[in-house]
Amino acid sequence: MSTVLSGRDAYRAELAELARHDPRLLCFEADLGGRKHPFAQEHPDRFFNLGIAEATMIDMAAALASAGYRPFVSTFAPFATLRAAESMKLSMGYMGAGVVVVAPYSGVSGAWFGTTHHCLEDLAVVQSFPGITIAAPHGEAETRAVIRAAAAGSGPVYVRTGRSAAAVSLPLDGEPPLVNWASSGSSDVCLVSVGEVGTELALEACARRPDLGHAHLCFVDHASLTAVASELRRSRYSRFVVVEEHRPAGGVASTLALLVPEVAVVGVNAGMTWPSEGGDHGEVLSGLGLDLAHVLAAV
Amino acid sequence: MTRVGTSVEVLREQAVRARRLVVDMAAQPTGCHLGGSLSVVDILVAAFDRAAEDDGTEVVLSKGHAAAALYAALHVSGRLAENPAPLYGLAGHHYTGHPSPAVPGVRFPTGSLGHGVPYAVGWALARRLSGGTGLGIAVTGDGELQEGLVWEACQVAAAQRLANLVVVVDRNGGQNDGLVADISPLPDLGARFAAFGFDVSEVDGHDIGAVRALLDGVGSRPHAVIAHTVKGKGVPPVEGKAGAHYVTIDAARAAKWKRMIR
Repeated sequence: MSTVLSGRDAYRAELAELARHDPRLLCFEADLGGRKHPFAQEHPDRFFNLGIAEATMIDMAAALASAGYRPFVSTFAPFATLRAAESMKLSMGYMGAGVVVVAPYSGVSGAWFGTTHHCLEDLAVVQSFPGITIAAPHGEAETRAVIRAAAAGSGPVYVRTGRSAAAVSLPLDGEPPLVNWASSGSSDVCLVSVGEVGTELALEACARRPDLGHAHLCFVDHASLTAVASELRRSRYSRFVVVEEHRPAGGVASTLALLVPEVAVVGVNAGMTWPSEGGDHGEVLSGLGLDLAHVLAAV
Repeated sequence: MTRVGTSVEVLREQAVRARRLVVDMAAQPTGCHLGGSLSVVDILVAAFDRAAEDDGTEVVLSKGHAAAALYAALHVSGRLAENPAPLYGLAGHHYTGHPSPAVPGVRFPTGSLGHGVPYAVGWALARRLSGGTGLGIAVTGDGELQEGLVWEACQVAAAQRLANLVVVVDRNGGQNDGLVADISPLPDLGARFAAFGFDVSEVDGHDIGAVRALLDGVGSRPHAVIAHTVKGKGVPPVEGKAGAHYVTIDAARAAKWKRMIR
């Protein structure tokens, strides 16, 4: 029986496989890679646990990219995008260094780990830096496709994943498309799903309401969303409901609302309160108003 | 193949030219970080001479506010063709008060203090991974050592046993608001680096031959060079004065000060 991998495990497995044929690929962790990291086991000479030093890790990776390597660095989303925000801005944004940051624990996927381990701000932060591709893949296949594309590319990339939840991606043929039209429905309302939680909720909502359209987005940086906006504008829908595990400020809905002002864009998101309670991922999400009931109420 | 080394006399002459260019930049409408630029000139001239061995050595000016010295040193060492001084701070040119990779010869953006050390650490790791020779050289200020990122990067460099990393500290004793000793002193600085696992050398940072000699070899551990310098070095009216951190002067004063530089 095959097992579906979580986003972060899919990343580790895919990168280890790609590195067999690409000596430029390096893998860095800041003490959150676990004891049995597949890249470390297969390519120990190109794996570096630098210790708890996130900003140093990203700056170092920028230098290695400058020297011709393709470094992947990974740490939890709150530490990558906020503790090391300046390194991302300078090294990846302004310098355009070809570093790939893979960030698990985005949103509130850390659940009972608590406030410091949540990150509902990463899209707002990273989207404000120029030139960084942002991917929020859903499921193993899409995550692997994003990692393959990032490994083959040369620019800076930020990839957000959850913690341990595993999902089956939407049907995918090669690279993730700009807009993956998952279902068309019959009404003029279309869900726009982002990331693991947003996409799972959209799928559940469409199962309850087959009249809803569903457009899944994988790439959500400003440049990608500008192109997405053109495709949404050409569609028949007049109301888009963006579902994302992020705050409303600086999220995908707020960007699309500016890019497609001629139609209604509303968001179902994690709101502006601080998650401070325990529980599993779904329970923390419900506490923030990001669940199926809120999605159905918004359409 | 090792290049035939530039004589110390030639490097001294380069440093004189670089200091005069720095004074020219202080006479631009913007002024410049004069004191810390004049203190670091000899270190940069020596470091770029080391990099001229063409073995993959990269020099990172981590104390990016000394951009005037960086541009001047790049120019006198032949790495930057145009004279940056008349263009410093001006619209339409990249010679800003803190350097960016838009300037030929500059690989990393610095000026937000601390980042130059991890850039050099990453460069040293890249050279080791590729099986190449060459150093990662970070030039920091002593005030800059108050940034946590410096020590985070030193911790990583020691753990990774990067023997081809050199951190040169321009120990001029000053920082923006006054003296390092008054604001956040650094007693036993050499012992601090040693405790992190670095080899440590102390040197007169204006003895260009001595600084250059310390950049020759690769030891068994990362190397910290504490270069004792004088803020404003070479221009007696500002030498050793904390107020020389940022200076704007007119052309007549610049001409007078340049004549003092020897």
